[in-house]
Amino acid sequence: MTYKRKKYHHGDTHLKKRWRVRNRKKDLDQIDGDLKEEKAEILLNQEVDLDLPGAAQHYCLHCARYFIDEQALKEHFKTKVHKRRLKALELEPYTIEESERAAGFGNFKLPSKRKIVTQNTQIVDKDGDVIIEEDTVPKKKKIDENAT
Amino acid sequence: MRIETCYFCSSRIYPGHGIQFVRNDCKIFRFCRSKCHAAFKKKKNPRKTKWTKAYRKTAGKELAIDPSFEFEKRRHAPVKYNRELWTKTIEAMKKVEEIRQRRANNYIMQRLRKGREVEWQRDVREVQRDISLIRSPAAGLKQRQALEATEMEVEPETIEVVDSKGRKQIIEAPVMVPATAEMIEDGGEVDL
Repeated sequence: MTYKRKKYHHGDTHLKKRWRVRNRKKDLDQIDGDLKEEKAEILLNQEVDLDLPGAAQHYCLHCARYFIDEQALKEHFKTKVHKRRLKALELEPYTIEESERAAGFGNFKLPSKRKIVTQNTQIVDKDGDVIIEEDTVPKKKKIDENAT
Repeated sequence: MRIETCYFCSSRIYPGHGIQFVRNDCKIFRFCRSKCHAAFKKKKNPRKTKWTKAYRKTAGKELAIDPSFEFEKRRHAPVKYNRELWTKTIEAMKKVEEIRQRRANNYIMQRLRKGREVEWQRDVREVQRDISLIRSPAAGLKQRQALEATEMEVEPETIEVVDSKGRKQIIEAPVMVPATAEMIEDGGEVDL
């Protein structure tokens, strides 16, 4: 006999399940590596992979997550999870090298702070020009014009 | 044999101790004990966990930048065994360790000295505020009034304070100007 699950919230699981190696997400220092230009370019322009959400076409660099479409990705940029992640990445993440420096192998370096902004979503034209999508405000105007 | 360092607390890991985790990008995370391993699994930040070396160094609790740290390093070049070099290195290690120890202790003492300075200033402020408990504001009032009548000026009184460490400081006592009503009550000799 099956019974109803009592706790419905996402992530309301036993700690051990969350710590399983197969449930591991990318660590902050890995994401820090991904933010480098060459790597970021590869991650943002991935080939179609039908096994991944949205065929791996809508990827958030900072959160290391795939989204099903452009809209979902844009909605995600407005969320707290994403903003918190940006904030966490502001300070250089802790690495193995830092743990060694703290142990006395070489001088200890204080983590530097930098500015982190959300990746910009750009759509490239046929000619190779970049169109930066504007907010939804102009679209509304168009509707008003049609109505009048 | 190599003595590794813990990823979380930066302590030494001797052979046969601890556990290691290899991430899928081949980075090896070594942990000295289950405490550190569990903290890592919980994604705790070692810079914010008070008992780690990384915290103590980022917060400026310990000596972090010093040339004496430059000796001990992971050098990926193998060196051919040479007895003379080996004995010299051992001697140098002892010396370097001694110097490093001394500097680290000195750093901590310098850091603590600041607290003592603050403490001293706080004591002085307390005495200034509560001076009326030691010395009544009415003490010598009549003499002062007599002086005022003759010279019409009051010199700021000073009190010499000597604390337990033998330091001296001269504090200006706050000038007590009694209200006119009090003056009338206290002394009947005031001319109206």
